[in-house]
Amino acid sequence: MRLPVWAWLALSSLAAAPANAATRPHYGGSLTVELSTAWTTLDPTEWNSALSIPITETLVRLNARGGIEPALCVAWQHDADLKRWRFSLRPKVTFHDGEPLNGASAAPSLLAALKKKYADVSIQTGGQAIVIQSSEAMPDLLSDLAAPRSTIVRQSSANPLIGTGPFRVTAWEPGRRLVVAAFDDYWGSRPYLDSIAIDFGAGRARADIFDIPVGPARRILPEGIGTWSSAPRTLVAITVAITAANAQPMLLQALALGIDRAPIVNVLAQRKGEAAFSLLPQWLTGYAFLFQSAPDVPRAKQLVSQLRLAPISLSYPANDAFLRSVAERIALNARDAGITIQPSQNALNNPGGNLRLIEWQISSEDPATELERIATALGVSRLDASKPEALYQAERSLLDRVIPLVYLRETYGIAPRVHIESSKSDAFALHLEDVWLQQEKPQP
Amino acid sequence: MSFRTKVFLSIAATAVLSVWIVAAVVSTLVTQSFERRDAQRTAALVNQFQREFDRRGIEVARRIEAVADSDAVQRLALNLAGPADTSPYFTEAQTLAQEQSLDFLELVGPDATIISSAEWPARFGYKEDWLTATPDWKSQAVFLKKEDLADGQALGLITVRTVKAGDGMLYIAGGRRLDQEFLDSLPGAEGMRVRLYRQPGEVTRVNSDATITTLPLRGRDNQLLAILLIENSRADLVALKKYIQGTAAIVGAAGVLLGLLLSFWTASRVTRPLRGLASSVREVAVGKWDTRAAVSSSDEIGQLARDFNGMTEQLVEQRDRMIQAERVAAWRELARRLAHELKNPLFPLQITIENLQRARDASPEQFDEVFRESTSTLLAELGHLKTIIGRFSDFAKMPAPQLEPVNINQLAREVIQLFEPQLHAPGRPAVETKLLLAEDLGDLAADPEQLRRALRNLVLNALDAMPDGGQLTVRTSRSDSKVAVEVSDTGEGLTPEECNRLFTPYYTTKLHGTGLGLAIVQSVVSDHKGTITVRSEPGRGATFRIELKA
Repeated sequence: MRLPVWAWLALSSLAAAPANAATRPHYGGSLTVELSTAWTTLDPTEWNSALSIPITETLVRLNARGGIEPALCVAWQHDADLKRWRFSLRPKVTFHDGEPLNGASAAPSLLAALKKKYADVSIQTGGQAIVIQSSEAMPDLLSDLAAPRSTIVRQSSANPLIGTGPFRVTAWEPGRRLVVAAFDDYWGSRPYLDSIAIDFGAGRARADIFDIPVGPARRILPEGIGTWSSAPRTLVAITVAITAANAQPMLLQALALGIDRAPIVNVLAQRKGEAAFSLLPQWLTGYAFLFQSAPDVPRAKQLVSQLRLAPISLSYPANDAFLRSVAERIALNARDAGITIQPSQNALNNPGGNLRLIEWQISSEDPATELERIATALGVSRLDASKPEALYQAERSLLDRVIPLVYLRETYGIAPRVHIESSKSDAFALHLEDVWLQQEKPQP
Repeated sequence: MSFRTKVFLSIAATAVLSVWIVAAVVSTLVTQSFERRDAQRTAALVNQFQREFDRRGIEVARRIEAVADSDAVQRLALNLAGPADTSPYFTEAQTLAQEQSLDFLELVGPDATIISSAEWPARFGYKEDWLTATPDWKSQAVFLKKEDLADGQALGLITVRTVKAGDGMLYIAGGRRLDQEFLDSLPGAEGMRVRLYRQPGEVTRVNSDATITTLPLRGRDNQLLAILLIENSRADLVALKKYIQGTAAIVGAAGVLLGLLLSFWTASRVTRPLRGLASSVREVAVGKWDTRAAVSSSDEIGQLARDFNGMTEQLVEQRDRMIQAERVAAWRELARRLAHELKNPLFPLQITIENLQRARDASPEQFDEVFRESTSTLLAELGHLKTIIGRFSDFAKMPAPQLEPVNINQLAREVIQLFEPQLHAPGRPAVETKLLLAEDLGDLAADPEQLRRALRNLVLNALDAMPDGGQLTVRTSRSDSKVAVEVSDTGEGLTPEECNRLFTPYYTTKLHGTGLGLAIVQSVVSDHKGTITVRSEPGRGATFRIELKA
């Protein structure tokens, strides 16, 4: 059974609120986090996790309904051609180092981000006003400015990341530890937590929040530990290697029919995901159910009988136990359909076989933006995704070269003292600025 | 092939053959010994394999029992009693297999669905129907089974235990791999190798210097699963055989060398007197009848030399006797011829003289006339006697030839010209002469007078052979280094017997011949180192051919 977005929100809220709902949030305390994966950079564009620690902000942002709302700006205007946009910056906003936010301090970050898409874009500033101008129309400018790559930061040799968000970096050891503290001069509401300490590569379930990696390894959680799962945000799929771009479409069709996704989701992913038949999940597009299909091994065999197939290699990222188990299961399913698949690890001297098993992180809550990212990664030229129908057609055309397998959620263990302000949480990310800690009762 | 070579080959062949026979016998005995040893070692290894197989079977059974009694399996069985989600147990078999050091372990639900597989984790959810086909696994011993793996198949020592799960059974099937590592753990003797043959192409290299013993390995249903190959290296045997062959080769070579020396020595000892004997024979053949062979030993060769010397002594004696006899015979023949030749003219002399005496006594008036006639007859007969004596005198006085360049064609023309008056004498039947002279003869070294005389005798004989006329042909020719002159007639010819005796002195077929003509011709030809032959058939004339060195 597939659940809509609102249901995920409800379930997540229930799972993340083990404590008494009537307990009132309060400020203070230090949150400890342990993650099995190591962060080696604080670059917001590389920060692709459901765990959201707002250190930086953008001019605008997406709200829970997918709409654009002001963030560091308070208003914007554009001309009829969408070539000239004027933004009014929020007043009395300061960076973590005390510098005020104005047009001059915001322009370098914006220009660097926009130049990647609009070659001749220029920015003019004046006080709290920013004018973004280009010779070509910029209809998607707001979406671009809401993307993580458009965060406004200040360059400093003393601090690796200086933004305007509710948390500021106080310690950073790449790959080992990150400590952030509440930014008292934040223009919005102060976060509940005084600080957050994140240790990487641990995952020993001793922290307030720890990640539970997806995979076949069975993990028994300590008593009282709750879980929080994101909406599906990682797509596991089979892609055709560039060197085998002329692979027979019928082969992919047969393979797709031969794969039974349910055991992959239920057993290998231990239900931390859902079967995928489309590139974008249901919560993002609303039409993903249209792609659903059941395994049909006899039909797959029939297709295979029309082909002359040599053994096919299916590569997966090295040291990824989950993808390795998925690859072996696919090989087993393929064998039932009459296709010989040999799973193999990616190696430096062998970057991949005929087919590749990949994980795709969904980083945008805008389906058109996300589909365009996928298309770019697949080497497809720009898509027309201006309307939902066009988006659907564009996605269907991409399915000729991709076999979606499963969407994975990010799951975190939550200690009993951790509370999430449910009214402000969504299913895509766990916003740590909305987390508060229950005060320990004094010992009698 | 020389005698020395024969001796050498005989000795060398004997040495090599002897060595080869000895080497072959030794090699055969060694091979049999090695084969007996290999058979014993193989039997010991097969026994050891069976013991190890049984021991590991007991160990596998114990480990599977431990798995069946584990908390994880008991908990799983408890969960399976009702509607259960078995997905959390997906990795359980791997954990348990690791704990019990098992290569294969599968946890299979009551419906024969794999819950967890250690050897092929991705196979969860698939069926293992063979497990539910056997009602009581407790009484089943450990057995061999081919296990499907992601990368092929493996042979396993498998056992199955069951745990009650509600109304059904949880099956625990597992064991250990029967692979090369297992086989390597068997205590084999040096030079032995044990391998498994499970499918075509698996054993890619078999040592050609090894003997292979096979032992079929069968599964529960007696199906052939694999073959145990016990390879006994024959490297030691091969090395020993090579050593024997090498030694035999060296000994053989030494034998050949020894044969060479022995043959040289033997040949020296044996062939030296034989060579001396052969040399003596050659000297005897060229007329040195007084040659003697050296007698250097008392063996057969020495006896042969003695017999040779005796033979030459007898030959010399017989030759002397023959010469003496021939002399006597020649003198007798000469006396007979002389008596015959002289008797003929003496008888008319006697008659004439007696006529003279009677005429003087009976008719003195006619005496003068008779005297005149008688003296005439006497002179004629005396002349005849003188001629006879002259011929004998000429034959006796044949001088040594005085060689000078002679043109044989010119000589032939002169002789024919000499006989021209006689050929065309009135009343004589016509004899036609024919000269067939080769123009390229050139000159040869000869005594022209003697050669002319020989030709004259041959022409004279030819004319005598044609009293009724005929054709006289003189032909000259040259071949290689010889010049030939032939004188042919068309007379009555000669019998083969006459041809054989023709050149014997004083032999003649004519009524008034002395028998010296052809003897003189042969004497002249012989003095010029030439040859004379005759070919003739009765009624078809005769041809005399003289060949002289050019």
